Amino acid sequence: MGHKPKKVFVEGPISPQFVAESIAKHQSKTSIGAHNIFLGQIRADAKVGGVVTGIEYSAYPEMAEQIFHQIREAAFAQYELTCLHIYHSLGLVPTGEISLFVFVSSPHRRATFEALEFLVEEIKAKVPIFGKELLGNEGDFAWKENT
Amino acid sequence: MTLSILYFGMIAEATGQPLETWHSLDAMTVGDLKNDLLEKYPVLRDRKFQIAINQQIADESFPIPPLAQVALLPPFAGG
Repeated sequence: MGHKPKKVFVEGPISPQFVAESIAKHQSKTSIGAHNIFLGQIRADAKVGGVVTGIEYSAYPEMAEQIFHQIREAAFAQYELTCLHIYHSLGLVPTGEISLFVFVSSPHRRATFEALEFLVEEIKAKVPIFGKELLGNEGDFAWKENT
Repeated sequence: MTLSILYFGMIAEATGQPLETWHSLDAMTVGDLKNDLLEKYPVLRDRKFQIAINQQIADESFPIPPLAQVALLPPFAGG
């Protein structure tokens, strides 16, 4: 167990360019045979009060960073991974944009499928991140709750 | 003892502030503090939250150490 804690939070949406550059950075790691990526995108759900136009994320950063680190260590212990990256937005992410980017790499595909599902489920269940769904155009909002 | 209490998301909205300093003459468990908080902020009775002590989720029987950082965490919404 000795991976360095990494910075997870980014301000605002995660751009497709950032995802592409992250992939490109792995071309020199030639023991990798498989990558797998999860991208969480903000959905325009219709709610009482209006359609979701975006989510404003906040977090308990000190605790969230610790939990992210524990989840990463658990994934490295359970699956044959070469590397693993997690990025999550804070602040406003408009509908249609990306708020979560999980990227796993391994010599073989099977570990990437399993690790990716484990990571996304753990992040949703355990990390103290909070989301205010902005509704319609009149300032209404609702608090998001993962199920 | 003196505690700092952090409120997040819908809980901060309900208490009207993101943090406060809490003084108590007696040692407290998480359950004791929760009862005091519900008395001060009755609106919290209708809200779901967990309590973290020094960044760890704690159950109601947990004794709160002096100078602890307490956090009231509404349901998580990451992803």
